Amino acid sequence: MFPQFGATAESLSKASTLVFRIGTDAHLYDDPEDVNIAPLLDSKFDSEKCEALKRLLALIAQGFDVANFFPQVVKNVASQSLEVKKLVYLYLLHYAEKRPNEALLSINCFQKDLGDPNPLVRAWALRAMAGIRLHAIAPLVLVAVRKCARDPSIYVRKCAANALPKLHDLRLEEHTSAIEEIVGLLLNDNSPEVVGAAASAFATVCPDNFLLLGRKFRRLCEVLPDVEEWGQIILIGILLRYVIARHGLVKESIMFSLCQEKDWSSGKTVSEDDEQDFTVKEGAYGSGGTLSELANMIFHCYIERPDEYLSRSSSPNKGFPKLEASQFSSSSNDDVKILLQCTSPLLWSNNSAVVLAAAGVHWIMASQDNVKKIVKPLLFVLRSSYASRFVVLCNIQVFAKAMPSLFVAHYEDFFIHSSDSYQIKALKLEMLSAIATESSVPFILKEFQDYIKDPDRRFAADTVAAIGLCAQRIPKMANACLEWLLTLIKHELVCSGTQSVVGEDGVLLQAITSIKSIIKLDPPSYEKVIILLVRSLDTIKVPAARAMIIWMMGEYCSLGEIIPRLLSTVLKYLAWCFASEALETKLQILNAIAKVILCTKKDDIGSLQRVLSYAVELAENDLNYDIRDRSHFVKKLFSRNLESQQNEEEENDKSQNRDLSYVLAQCIFGGQTKTVTVPSEPINSRFYLPGSLSQIVFHAAPGYEPLPKPSSLPYNELDQYDGAASGEFNEDDPDASGSLDEESASDYSSEHSYTGSSDVSHSDETVSGHQDNHNTDPLIQISDTANGGKNQNGVSHPDTADFGDLLSTRALESWLDEPPALSTESTMEQGRARRSSARITIGNIRSRVKTKCYMLLDPANGNGLKVNYSFSSEASSITPQLICLDLFFENCSLESLSDIVLIDEDSSKGSDSANQTSLSVESTSNTDIPTLVSMEEISSLEPGQTEKRTLQVHFHHHLLPRKLALFCSGKKFPVKLRPDIGYFVKPLPISVEDFRDKESHLRGMFEYVRSCTFTDHIEELNKDNNSLTKDNFLVICESIAVKMLSNANVSLVSVDMPVTTNLDDASGLCLRFSGEILSNSMPCLLTVTVEGKCSDPLSISVKVNCEETVFGLNFLNRVVNFLAEQCHTQS
Amino acid sequence: MLQCIFLLSDSGEVMLEKQLTGHRVDRSICDWFWEQAVSQGDSFKQLPVVASPTHYLFQVFREGITFLACTQVEMPPLMGIEFLCRVADVLNDYLGGLNEDLIKDNFVIVYELLDEMIDNGFPLTTEPNILQEMIAPPNIVSKMLSVVTGNSSNVSDVLPGATASRVPWRTADAKYANNEVYVDLVEEMDAIISRDGVLVKCEINGEVQVNSHITGIPDLTLSFANPSILDDVRFHRCVRFRPWESHQVLSFVPPDGQFKLMSYRVRKLKSTPIYVKPQLTSDGGTCRVNVMVGIRNDPGKTIDSVTVQFILPPCVLSADLTSNHGTVNIFSDKTCTWSIGRIPKDKAPSMTGTLVLENGLERLHVFPTFRVGFRIMGVALSGLQIEKLDLLKSVPYRFYKGFRALTQAGEFEVRS
Repeated sequence: MFPQFGATAESLSKASTLVFRIGTDAHLYDDPEDVNIAPLLDSKFDSEKCEALKRLLALIAQGFDVANFFPQVVKNVASQSLEVKKLVYLYLLHYAEKRPNEALLSINCFQKDLGDPNPLVRAWALRAMAGIRLHAIAPLVLVAVRKCARDPSIYVRKCAANALPKLHDLRLEEHTSAIEEIVGLLLNDNSPEVVGAAASAFATVCPDNFLLLGRKFRRLCEVLPDVEEWGQIILIGILLRYVIARHGLVKESIMFSLCQEKDWSSGKTVSEDDEQDFTVKEGAYGSGGTLSELANMIFHCYIERPDEYLSRSSSPNKGFPKLEASQFSSSSNDDVKILLQCTSPLLWSNNSAVVLAAAGVHWIMASQDNVKKIVKPLLFVLRSSYASRFVVLCNIQVFAKAMPSLFVAHYEDFFIHSSDSYQIKALKLEMLSAIATESSVPFILKEFQDYIKDPDRRFAADTVAAIGLCAQRIPKMANACLEWLLTLIKHELVCSGTQSVVGEDGVLLQAITSIKSIIKLDPPSYEKVIILLVRSLDTIKVPAARAMIIWMMGEYCSLGEIIPRLLSTVLKYLAWCFASEALETKLQILNAIAKVILCTKKDDIGSLQRVLSYAVELAENDLNYDIRDRSHFVKKLFSRNLESQQNEEEENDKSQNRDLSYVLAQCIFGGQTKTVTVPSEPINSRFYLPGSLSQIVFHAAPGYEPLPKPSSLPYNELDQYDGAASGEFNEDDPDASGSLDEESASDYSSEHSYTGSSDVSHSDETVSGHQDNHNTDPLIQISDTANGGKNQNGVSHPDTADFGDLLSTRALESWLDEPPALSTESTMEQGRARRSSARITIGNIRSRVKTKCYMLLDPANGNGLKVNYSFSSEASSITPQLICLDLFFENCSLESLSDIVLIDEDSSKGSDSANQTSLSVESTSNTDIPTLVSMEEISSLEPGQTEKRTLQVHFHHHLLPRKLALFCSGKKFPVKLRPDIGYFVKPLPISVEDFRDKESHLRGMFEYVRSCTFTDHIEELNKDNNSLTKDNFLVICESIAVKMLSNANVSLVSVDMPVTTNLDDASGLCLRFSGEILSNSMPCLLTVTVEGKCSDPLSISVKVNCEETVFGLNFLNRVVNFLAEQCHTQS
Repeated sequence: MLQCIFLLSDSGEVMLEKQLTGHRVDRSICDWFWEQAVSQGDSFKQLPVVASPTHYLFQVFREGITFLACTQVEMPPLMGIEFLCRVADVLNDYLGGLNEDLIKDNFVIVYELLDEMIDNGFPLTTEPNILQEMIAPPNIVSKMLSVVTGNSSNVSDVLPGATASRVPWRTADAKYANNEVYVDLVEEMDAIISRDGVLVKCEINGEVQVNSHITGIPDLTLSFANPSILDDVRFHRCVRFRPWESHQVLSFVPPDGQFKLMSYRVRKLKSTPIYVKPQLTSDGGTCRVNVMVGIRNDPGKTIDSVTVQFILPPCVLSADLTSNHGTVNIFSDKTCTWSIGRIPKDKAPSMTGTLVLENGLERLHVFPTFRVGFRIMGVALSGLQIEKLDLLKSVPYRFYKGFRALTQAGEFEVRS
């Protein structure tokens, strides 16, 4: 048991630690390979398997590759022990991608586990299966997820939601809509736990699918406080995006007011209460314009994509695109209001990420008065874990930059503790200098004075810089700051006089930089300061600091009275110590001398020129080429200028002898620096959404999405959708897992007008060109009016019965075991108020069926030969596995075409004779099924002539296009025949009773439901709007039936129509179709149930019961696709 | 979403890796990380978000263990950080502490926990009570059992009932012979005293910690006598927002066992219970230190565990410090700790001594900050008072209520 015990027990201390480690897995981690793992894995005892798996896990933890055990581990997936299962899953997920083939072996076990009565087992199976990431099993996973999305256990549904991003990650384009459908379903879930996970799936799978959110928005807002914390973070972001896209920005928000301020250029239009808000700020910062510009930019960054930003910054016209009035809505908008209402309690959340997310919403959407709400919670979050402090502070900093007034009163919270990390200290300093006002600045400066004595000199230097910033922001304090900086310099000089202490230089340098920036504000009044600094040149040793002082001297050499008098002495001193200076100081000395010469009066020029030539001479012989370059440059510039001045000494007027080089020198050295009131903020930096990763790392992280364009979601699009939605609501109810609160749903739908019907009826061209057949009314047989009878008990209206058992609120038994479920259902059925339904028979529906034609060969590509094909409903005479196609050949050219034949591409390669037709049939006839029974050859086709041929193809049950070769007049055209899964079945005429019987055997995993919207009937209804002879229901039934039969080779079994419902409500209409899979003669049953109002787009749910799961699923997708297809796209 | 979580030991060794999504993260990222950490020192360790050449890293550092999470795409950084903190907390609870050995010894549990806590990079179950039901924490009994029988499973066979209920944070079937609720007010005092001896900032950050053992699903209400003094609050998710908004009453269904019900903050306090007066005078290459500690405002209860701690400035070569009460320790990292314990009634404790400065340095120009620690049992210095705690519905059993309070120093700093 303790392999290491004997070896390590020499020392007592080790033994004592061992006592603590007894019973833990320590020995496994320390020495995972001290026994042979392989036989343990094959052991029949769970405990030994466990040990082996733990050893493998230990190896994984230590970074070893143990993928070679994969086959042995996979075997154990069938173990009954949950611990073994868990360990196997952990191993499996770690290596599944490396060993895809072996991973496939485990699929059956997962499938079995998915039906386990223990929800934990189901959830684990789903998680593991989805985590395997193999394209081959993606359809199966999708089925499993769909199933689990309706699971009675919340935990399983939550896992289903988490599985969706895994599926999405495989990039299965064909399943996108199905995945989104499940997302929608889970967002509707009545458990907040599931909604949270679904929100995360939504954010990964389809973050821009706002239509999916439209009708759920309110419910999502209301449920938000109950969602678990992690889901809240994501959901808040989704809801914010939706509101921006739907309603645009809010007029009362700071975002808008600041944009306005900028648009009106002088900030005059700030409304009155804003003025109150901003008085402090205006007073404190002099120019509110720069600030609002910054804020304006921040907000523009929020809605701007990186590419837009780049194009804007590179274009000469740097202005921001103006936001139109239509992109704004008022805060009284209901959606905005409810979002703000539901996010404000989240500011009290224990999770700092939730607080920040909620604060972000208020920051962007809330009106000016309400934004204050976020301040205290944000500051309180600052006291949470060390790691999150930094992130929160980064975000607060952006808020404070845009709107300092928010944080003005809370400056105390940014006082620095010695335990803060350096990054946090720096951020806090920045905050303090940004929010300082006249009233608070004395306290802040007092704090700063304490900080300067901190042992961390880097921090002290930053503090000095912050003092400079404060002084610039609040000019009234400039003098106090300056004085204080000067004493600091004096103090520093004394302290570091003998020995330069590490970090001390930085403080001094910062002090002088700060002084420089203060002097810039108003140079004339600080003349004495400059002199003071220049005098201290003797003691200041830091080269950068010296350079800066020399620069100041050069810059302000003509200032005031005393400085010009000092100049020649100082310059002499500088020239004298030139050789011993550092690089940057030398450069500045040269510059300073040049500047002085440029603006000095003539009387000193002689001595100055000597200084210059001395310095230049020294510089010319310097070791550093930068300095040599500079000296050459200065020399060249000034030699002529000085000469000319000397030569024409009598001339007083400078302007006359101002030659080119003088002007040049003036431009280079004499450029007066403008007085800058506010230091130019890093206005070019980018800002990102509050709480985002990009905001912390200062670049757009992959996957960063700015807010959607305000009001980018078109109103009519949504309205139309709402119209459709209103019809869908009842259907939605059973569809949702868990019982959706019907009250709230209907409440919401009632607020929207139905504009859908008028919108859709735009095209007058008819779908099925059978208007003439309209008068032949179908024969109605009311076969069963009161449908509560004994024999048809429980199945009278399939919509409720069938979906009923999908309801997760039911007991688990009803979901897992079919037979008892049926009995309970039937009793429930009887208990319910009975809705009777009538059965209709539509007589001549077959005659109206028009199959769809596809283009096989375009005349442009085929030398004028046009070939269309359509699937025929006839069964093949040779073997049932062949699918019959009708080919239509048309000669569109002006010449006649000859020898047209269509053969299989593969067989054409094998034989090159012209008579492949017979050959191919013969050669393939020895194999069990021919791949292609070719048509008879068309010997010649005259211009304009049309020929029809029949072709029988064996698609091998694949959905891939079949490559064929078409020969015409000796030329070969490769063509592709696309199979239609709708014709992989053949009609199976059965009675309704048989249908139900079969259906009852094909439940559970063999049953899939999807829903879609159907609009074909609207056109039909509008066509004969005024004729009262036609019944709405019939039209709907007919159009559905025609569409079904035109696209799939099935037979219509029955049509059930509700009788008691009101005339306009088509809900309850139910059509049944049946077919038989060609290849294996398995029955495939289709049930189409209709919900919604007659005149609106109908919501249709299609259910397939089929033993062959993959086929059934594909078939269902096909059916849903063509039912939802707009009619006019049909040719 | 998070792609991978690594647990690194003190020496940079990867103790554990857990891949979360199909996009595997190679553990070489840890080498990069450790190199940076070594070359950049402490300030890197304290950077929670790091952009590495290939991934964005979130790091949380707890008791020598670095929790590292990687992502390649945009996600709320706080979500990653908070999650890592939660992982650290849960592991701390489970293992009874956090250190390299504990993690290694219980690596299977760590794996199992991580697997339950996060699915595909998105947090799944993070409620500690629920986790404990899913995966049993290691305890003496289970350890002994595993020794005796050779095997024991710590993975529960059934899903905790709470996951299906309306209160996902509470076990549905809690049963106790003695029903009891203990409410603790645990407060931390943050204060800054400037070099002039002025109280710059003084505030209380407090928590209401509840330990509840009640049968069934109780609905509790807790109210304060003076809720108006609270500056800001944060709640456990079980607290309903409405009653707090309308009349500042906490209404909640508690989780089973120990949990943090709310945290609060009271700002702008006027005084501290004790004073610490450091005096530093330096000339001639040495520095005289004298620190006095005493009671300023007697809170009525004994103040104990008083400590004063400071870091000697880098320019100090050696220090010789003695005290008239308690013990003074100077550690190799230049941390100096004076443990006073309980402040005696008869004399004011003081610490005196000299610091020898670096050669050539005449006077001390940087001054350390003194961090003060203390503990007062039985008093909530913020003045917050619990008015009553009620069960909403009348229940057939009796239940006991207990209240306690504790104040200790948080970031209590005295500058010199």
